[in-house]
Amino acid sequence: MKNFNIINLTKGKTFIHQLSGTTKVRLFAALMVYVMMSFDLPIILPLFIFSIIGLISLKPSWKTIRPIIFFVVFLNVLNIILYWLADPHCGFEYTADKTVLFAYTNYLVVTRGTLWFLLVRLLKMLTAFSTSLVFIMSITPSELAAGLTSLGFTYKLGSIVEIAFRYIPDISRDYENIAISMQCRGLELDAKKTKAIERLKQMVIILIPLIITSFDRVGNISNAMDLRGFGKGKKRSYYSEYPERRNDKIFKLIYCLIALFCAYYIISGLITPRVPKMWIYWRCL
Amino acid sequence: MKKESFGKILLGKWDTKTIVGVAIGIALFGVLMVYGSITVFTNTNLSLAMIVPVIVGGLFGPLPAALACGVGNILADLIGGWGFWIDWAIGNAVLGFIVGSLKLYGANIDEGVFDVKHMVIYAVLAVLGNVIAFGVVTPIATHLIQGGELKITIAQGWVAAASNATVLLVAGIPILKALAARNARGTNLTKE
Amino acid sequence: MSKSPIIEFKDFTFRYSSQLEPTLKNINLKIYEGEKVLILGPSGCGKSTLANCINGLIPFSYPGEIQGSCKIAGNETSHSSIFSLSSVVGTVLQDSDAQFVGLSVGGDIAYALENDNMPREEMLPRVLKSATLVGMQEFLEHVPYNLSGGQKQRVSLAGIMHEHVKILLFDEPLAALDPQMGNQAIDLIDKIQKNNNCTVIIIEHRLEDVLYRPVDRIILLEDGQIVADMSPNQLLCSNIIVEKGIREPLYLQALKMAGCNVTIDDNPCNVFEINLDKYKDQLISYYSNVDTNKPLEEKKVVLKVKNVDYSYDDNKALDNVSFSINKGDKIAVIGKNGAGKSTMAKIICGILRPDKGEVYLENVNYLNYSIKELGQKIGYVMQNPNQMLVKDIIKDEVSLGLVLNNKSEDEIEKNIKEALTKCDLWSMRNWPVSVVSYGQKKRVTIASILAMNPEIIILDEPTAGQDYRVYTEIMSFLEKLNKDFGITILFITHDMHLAIEYTDRAIVFSDGKCIGDDSVFKILSDNDIIERANLKQTSLYSLATRLKINPESFIESFIVSERRKRHEKF
Repeated sequence: MKNFNIINLTKGKTFIHQLSGTTKVRLFAALMVYVMMSFDLPIILPLFIFSIIGLISLKPSWKTIRPIIFFVVFLNVLNIILYWLADPHCGFEYTADKTVLFAYTNYLVVTRGTLWFLLVRLLKMLTAFSTSLVFIMSITPSELAAGLTSLGFTYKLGSIVEIAFRYIPDISRDYENIAISMQCRGLELDAKKTKAIERLKQMVIILIPLIITSFDRVGNISNAMDLRGFGKGKKRSYYSEYPERRNDKIFKLIYCLIALFCAYYIISGLITPRVPKMWIYWRCL
Repeated sequence: MKKESFGKILLGKWDTKTIVGVAIGIALFGVLMVYGSITVFTNTNLSLAMIVPVIVGGLFGPLPAALACGVGNILADLIGGWGFWIDWAIGNAVLGFIVGSLKLYGANIDEGVFDVKHMVIYAVLAVLGNVIAFGVVTPIATHLIQGGELKITIAQGWVAAASNATVLLVAGIPILKALAARNARGTNLTKE
Repeated sequence: MSKSPIIEFKDFTFRYSSQLEPTLKNINLKIYEGEKVLILGPSGCGKSTLANCINGLIPFSYPGEIQGSCKIAGNETSHSSIFSLSSVVGTVLQDSDAQFVGLSVGGDIAYALENDNMPREEMLPRVLKSATLVGMQEFLEHVPYNLSGGQKQRVSLAGIMHEHVKILLFDEPLAALDPQMGNQAIDLIDKIQKNNNCTVIIIEHRLEDVLYRPVDRIILLEDGQIVADMSPNQLLCSNIIVEKGIREPLYLQALKMAGCNVTIDDNPCNVFEINLDKYKDQLISYYSNVDTNKPLEEKKVVLKVKNVDYSYDDNKALDNVSFSINKGDKIAVIGKNGAGKSTMAKIICGILRPDKGEVYLENVNYLNYSIKELGQKIGYVMQNPNQMLVKDIIKDEVSLGLVLNNKSEDEIEKNIKEALTKCDLWSMRNWPVSVVSYGQKKRVTIASILAMNPEIIILDEPTAGQDYRVYTEIMSFLEKLNKDFGITILFITHDMHLAIEYTDRAIVFSDGKCIGDDSVFKILSDNDIIERANLKQTSLYSLATRLKINPESFIESFIVSERRKRHEKF
């Protein structure tokens, strides 16, 4: 089973792991709004630092997450370069700074303002990434389900997420088995030997039995759920959702404050359009 | 067999079966994101996961397909360590809804109904859906949520749309045809 | 103790909306509180439908037309809801993977309580109590993927053992279990019934395994109708089970073969309790006179596995395994899950290559071959035919492997005709795969492998979950392939009946080691191997011990005379 071990199915031991699902989901939701709402460095940088601390505190298996981190950083840097190539002055709108640092051609110039903008943007993306990583590594699918319910979603949405995680390993085992039997029958899965479109067509041969057997389970699973009273009431409780403890109460205060701050920041920004302040920090440096 | 009304198909029947169906769809989406991705060049993947909403739509209706595609995308991103991209999830949900609307135009994979007419509609929707989802909806959502360069987002959207449409056409049509044929009731069963 | 019927069917008929004919016809049945009833019948006889009428899935999930009445604990099911029924009837489904909806053992046991919106503090003691009842209290934090089939089933059972449950319904509880776990499951069901004094209904077609613990009554269904409703002893003495396609217990088969006429008074429902005094001499004289000498034939070695090691990451899956396979062999590869059977199969197919050691295919080191080339020499048939079938038309499915290997059109035509003819499918070659039965689907997958003309076919659990009729269909077909065309067949299985009836040799795996490689009768009379491989003693062994004769020669004689008898019939 490759790549799925980033998700924990049972509760971990560290501080963040031990928080309740409700706390983790609400905090994550608030932080996602927080990181998306602005380009302000003083807003983004603290969260970046906290999320890195959070990540380290989870005592993750670095062997598992290192490739993911490298890949995401690489991808985001590539993205930034693309932004720059498309419009070398894309930061001007925010920083009002056109000072040229390097010029390759008349078109391809690096301005101070754009460089600053792109670096802040990169930081914003990486903050969103590291926060998500902490979230997904610290939560179990059942806690996620419980947390989604606490945000006001119907518990059926939570159940969908739970069941999906429950059957990912089963389906991936099926995939491996089907792939093996098809390879024995002569299917070429070696990426080097076939072209992309050809491979796509060959994958169809694996996909047909995989789709059929995957959806074959639906009847049995839904019977099992019906027989144990799924959908009986308007509400549902969760075995794996811990009751609120001291640390949850502390975090409740924290995410409430963050939510209030976000509301204030967004609403005040709508009433009096905020002057893009990024350049101010730039001048201060 | 009673004919279901248009509105009913549109909304879908949210019983336990549909819930499990969407969940299995999401699980399959996640598995195919990992196993079923074919790299064309460094940053562009032909991902077979895109087939999933079509199947969920064919079995349970367009709204379950939208949910499977949207949530599947979020979960696949989270598992893959890509972060959390609500703008792309919205685009995926829109795409899921459009390509998952098989029942609305009369194709019925469950009962083996998928002929040339449906194939053409499906092909048009696969292309159109991608254009709407990643050419329009996602860039707008990105702009609203993240701010930033519209031109690039649109360019990325178009690349995604092109690769998804390729998958939906090259792999999607044979799969739908095969599934429909597998579910068709045999008529002429004489031993030769 | 006055008994009242807790389940009462009266002139009950049910037809699924999607079908023209009723699946259950005019059922009249009373089951009393505290009874333990076995519902027996071949696939398609309506026994699962009957179960679904009891637990409320009919009419809740499966729409259809009901005539007559079905009362559970005094309530008419058609006026009741599945929720109120499910608090009285607890169902353990056949597919323990589907029933295990929770993400951990504790979570799954709590599933029904969660749906009741019970606060967590109240849940915890109840979950612990249920888990203790089935002996899973140490595993509450475990995730489903590391559990065995038997453990998953225990969890399912714990998940329905909540306070109001009066009826426990088991739908084919033995289908996914290896023999020893099957015994444990039957034992557990018995214990729970005695402790909680609930009504137990077991739906199975594996009669002998269920009778490991006593049953009050057996109800035999055929074509949606009850054809027998009697005590186990009565049923075993009548000819009805054989007529209706149910497998007779092995020890009874042994007795009958020796000409013993067993009566109800002999208490035939259990091999340890059956009265043997009358038959002892007859049995011993019959089986000691069976001629077990077989002509010795020189066989050519096709596959040789030599000192093979294989590890997944740090887990050693195969440890110094050696054996060889001769042309035309029929071999059972047995052992519990995770013992190394499927890793061995993957090594033979070339999907995995050994870390150490060699594999020779007709004296050529098989590292010389690619997976693709090996695929044409060694065929692998998966357990579930649906995982193999890609095309909608039988002929296309059979030609798929050849097309993928870029064979010429003439060769494809020739090979599929041969394969389809061998499998008796030629006349159906243009049929859609979807309309044929399970047994025929299995044959299609075998034909698609045969079309490549392999030296060896490996079959993974070819008869798992199938009733005796389909089992016989598949196995006699495979036997014919082996006999008439000399195809070497490896069965990966834990079905002892299959090993006894259809194979000559057994290779036994345990913890990655090959712990036995010998004639089936020798393996089956070796207590040490049986225990280590999670197998169980067949009732033949028990019978021999009770007769105080050598089990090895007894089992051998039985196998020889059973085969002789079977071949006379054909």
